[in-house]
Amino acid sequence: MLKMNNISKLYQTEMVQTHALRDFNLHVDEGEFIAVTGPSGSGKTTFLNIAGMLEPFSSGEYLLDGIDVGKLNDNQRADCRNQKIGFIFQGFNLIPDLNLYENIEVPLRYRGIKASERKRRIEQCLEQVGLASRAKHLPQQLSGGQQQRVAIARALAGEPRFLLADEPTGNLDSLMARQVMELLEQINRDGATIIMVTHDPELARRAPRNIQVVDGQLADFTLYQGAQNLKNVAGA
Amino acid sequence: MLEIKPIFHALCRSKVGAILLLIQIAITTAIVSNAAFIIQDRVAFLNQDTGYPEHDIFKFNVMTFGQDVDINQQIELDETMLRSLPEVIDAAMSSSIPLSGGGSASDFSLKPAPQEGLSVRTAYFFIDDHGINTYGVNLVMGRNFSEDEVLVTNNVDKRPSVTIVSQTLLNELFPKGNGLGQTIYFGETPLKVIGVVEKMMSPWLKDSRPDNLAFIPYINAKSLAQFVVRTKPDQRDAVMKEVENLMLKNYSKRVINNIKGLDELKNQYVAADKLMMRMLIVLITILVLVTALGIFGLTLFNISKRTKQIGTRRALGARKSAIIYYFLVENAMICGVGLILGCIAALLLGQLLMQHFSIAALPPSYIAGTAIMVFVMSLLAVFGPAKRAANISPSIATRTI
Amino acid sequence: MLLHYLDLSWRSFKRTPLVSMLMVLAIAIGIGVTMTSLSVYHMMSADPIPEKSNQLYTVQLQIMDDGNTWWTKDNLPSQLTYQDAVNLQNAPIPEHKIAMMRSGFSVHIDSDIIKPFIGEARLTTPDFFSLFNLSFIYGGSWSSQQEQTAASVVVISEKLNDKLFAGKNSVGKVIYLDDLSYEVVGVIAHWQLTTKYYDLNNGAFNEPEELFLPFSLVKANEVVTWGNTNGWKHENTRTFADKLQSEKVWIQFWALLSDAKQKQAYADYLLAYMQEQQKLGRFKRKVLEYKLRDVNQWMQYNNVVSEDNKILVGLSFMFLAVCLANILGLLLAKFLRRAPEVGVRRALGASKRQVFLQHLVEVAMLGALGGLLGIVIAQVGLLAVRQSYSYYESLATMDITMLLSAPIIAITTCIVAGLYPAWLVCKTNPAIYLKSQ
Repeated sequence: MLKMNNISKLYQTEMVQTHALRDFNLHVDEGEFIAVTGPSGSGKTTFLNIAGMLEPFSSGEYLLDGIDVGKLNDNQRADCRNQKIGFIFQGFNLIPDLNLYENIEVPLRYRGIKASERKRRIEQCLEQVGLASRAKHLPQQLSGGQQQRVAIARALAGEPRFLLADEPTGNLDSLMARQVMELLEQINRDGATIIMVTHDPELARRAPRNIQVVDGQLADFTLYQGAQNLKNVAGA
Repeated sequence: MLEIKPIFHALCRSKVGAILLLIQIAITTAIVSNAAFIIQDRVAFLNQDTGYPEHDIFKFNVMTFGQDVDINQQIELDETMLRSLPEVIDAAMSSSIPLSGGGSASDFSLKPAPQEGLSVRTAYFFIDDHGINTYGVNLVMGRNFSEDEVLVTNNVDKRPSVTIVSQTLLNELFPKGNGLGQTIYFGETPLKVIGVVEKMMSPWLKDSRPDNLAFIPYINAKSLAQFVVRTKPDQRDAVMKEVENLMLKNYSKRVINNIKGLDELKNQYVAADKLMMRMLIVLITILVLVTALGIFGLTLFNISKRTKQIGTRRALGARKSAIIYYFLVENAMICGVGLILGCIAALLLGQLLMQHFSIAALPPSYIAGTAIMVFVMSLLAVFGPAKRAANISPSIATRTI
Repeated sequence: MLLHYLDLSWRSFKRTPLVSMLMVLAIAIGIGVTMTSLSVYHMMSADPIPEKSNQLYTVQLQIMDDGNTWWTKDNLPSQLTYQDAVNLQNAPIPEHKIAMMRSGFSVHIDSDIIKPFIGEARLTTPDFFSLFNLSFIYGGSWSSQQEQTAASVVVISEKLNDKLFAGKNSVGKVIYLDDLSYEVVGVIAHWQLTTKYYDLNNGAFNEPEELFLPFSLVKANEVVTWGNTNGWKHENTRTFADKLQSEKVWIQFWALLSDAKQKQAYADYLLAYMQEQQKLGRFKRKVLEYKLRDVNQWMQYNNVVSEDNKILVGLSFMFLAVCLANILGLLLAKFLRRAPEVGVRRALGASKRQVFLQHLVEVAMLGALGGLLGIVIAQVGLLAVRQSYSYYESLATMDITMLLSAPIIAITTCIVAGLYPAWLVCKTNPAIYLKSQ
């Protein structure tokens, strides 16, 4: 499903070069649920950006669904994001001027889906996250947890095969975080591949596969191994 | 791809900026369309054909204070001297000067005064048989004065008997076109129309009858006289420089002044209109720039306010073109409403100007033209910032702050 | 506190220099354009003789027989016939009045250095100088005795005195006008006049004349007018004597009426005069009409401020409105972005009023800067006007009133524009901004 071979990302400023990622290798199979952890500044977000084609990489090879991402132009990358990937952001990133319905509609419009089909999908997704009655509300009228559920609905509406979640519970209290997590697990069971960046060890433990990014390189923990280490890292 | 409805909804939720822009566009449209119309009006006025080769003609005044000559005789000597100059085509004394803003006018009538009859306001020049050639006007019907028709006299009871008139005057007095050879009355003096000039403007371009003019062959020189000289092309300056000396050499007890080209006289007469035209051009240019700047600034502000949103949209699969398109559509909607209001405002302003000032009704084409121009200008003003917005990296979406 | 607010404003200006400069520029352009047209308008419509303008009246008589029309809006001729002017000049009331007309002569003296030249002249009665508040450097006006005998005397302008007599006292000297000699009896000080209100027939903004002679010379020397002569019926005026007797109008007439009582008395007199003339066969009409207009009414009646100018002033203010909308938009952007900072201030105890005032001080500062820059722009604009149209030389300038009103209009405009954004900022709930980071 997702293959990264020797991916490197170099940030260059006038004075210094920073390696955000160095010879990063990762293989993800269809249907996996992976939690990515690591200390802040370790390159988690860079990894997520590259995986989501939000940022170009400096060298290496990245294949998504067999497509060589490095060879795509900007429009192709946009289309690819639109069709294959669903994003869930830490800050929810709902568009404040649009109501819930319109927010979820955004990616569908970019895909050029017909209005009737859009309506069906949006209603279904709102149903799925339990906010069907609030379609006309503006984001600021909702609580954080509700907003994140809208964001998840927006990610799901495009029926992506691949879901990228960036600290999806970072701005939520533990109860809501648990609800969101359950929702993600449900989505995973329905067949979507999920990569979730988090610094919450408890959440990470619930994912079947954990990987850790340290200094732009990958430390892979399969299943629950190394939970103790993780705790130390998280505390650091 | 069409997302007019959500753009509209989004706009409705941040009204103030949009309304301000809308007001600017509306007022701009109102001002520019009306000003453009006035400008066009002035340009037409300033560039009108006067019938004269203005650049080859100049005039000067002669103020005689010496008492030891007969002025009529002296004038003849002066004219002969001027006409003999190699650079000069012809010269004549003329009681008034066209385009200068000063002269005489009277009602020319089909009946002798005091009888009432069709009468038309007409400027008139007392000038001899060299007048037609000196002014370089085009005699389209009839003939010039003969030398013996020119009445040179100091006796105020003697009256001339013929006239050459402009086509417009004759058409007004004789709408059937049979004016040539007929008699018209200057006061109680009958004048037979012996020639018709295609076009010659009076001293007042802003008169109610600016192109009614009659030449009357009558010379009765006073101490203050005006001369007109037509030179060969490009030789006017040389003659103008010399003319004072030449005239004073002929007779010295007089003052030669006001040596001015016909084009210069016209420029003086129309200076206020030229000024108005220039000021309006400056006004609307700056106005359009300020409005464009306003659109530019507001779009930039909107973009900086929506950086995260744009990044999110890009992350969710918006192509760069979709972002540009978004801002163009948003602007087009504001501009569209602004233009509708602007067209109404332009009509109202036009009405107001027509009511209070001597300005004709604003033709709708000016409003339409201005609206299109403002629309294109607004799209251009948005395009730059929109392109910048499209270049916002989608990775903004994952940044926390 | 004001100083503190000014300090904050200046910091805020420096923090977003581009937006701040844009705002100042927008105000400056708006003020510059408005001031350019407003200054010309102001100078054109300014009262030329404020201490007396409501006491000086010009006289109009309805001389036309019934059934004739004039082109003025009230159908009255704007000048008088020679015979009416002379009769009114000889009338017992009011004490001070003048009849006059414009002419010109070739001027020369017995000198090889100074070539003969054309001088513009005004033939008028002796009260002219006191009525229009002219002061003499040397000598004074001619006497009423000299006026009656059509003495060959002349009052010249300071400029002419400089030219002919190198600025020395020339009283008693002789100059030649055309072929006749005249004795200089006075030299008037430079007459600075933006509007030539006393004779609006030949260009309202021309310079005053340089030679002043007794009005009685008109008849004695058959002096032709250089101003307008208008008639309303056909008359045979072949000789100068014919013209003096005619119903053609070509003389201006002013009277000094100090109060309403004098004005009423004079009005009664004019009516009686016309009735008397009616008996002589003139004024063949049912209703006798006259009009007394003071200086400002006279300027308005003659449309001294041209249509073009009024249109320009109107458009300029609309232009200013566009700039105002522009500034409002930018202020909104600038202030709202600062909301978090305001949240902190509010949390630290600043009252709504203080926040509001702080922001108003800031916009007032922008307005003041814009106003000052606007004066510079207006000066450039006025320079361009003067270059383009020399006739406006003395009009296209800013007097002290205009110089002061530029920043005042700018600051007022800005405060009006700033009210809404400042109100919006001060009413924001501080809590929102404190928690979200």
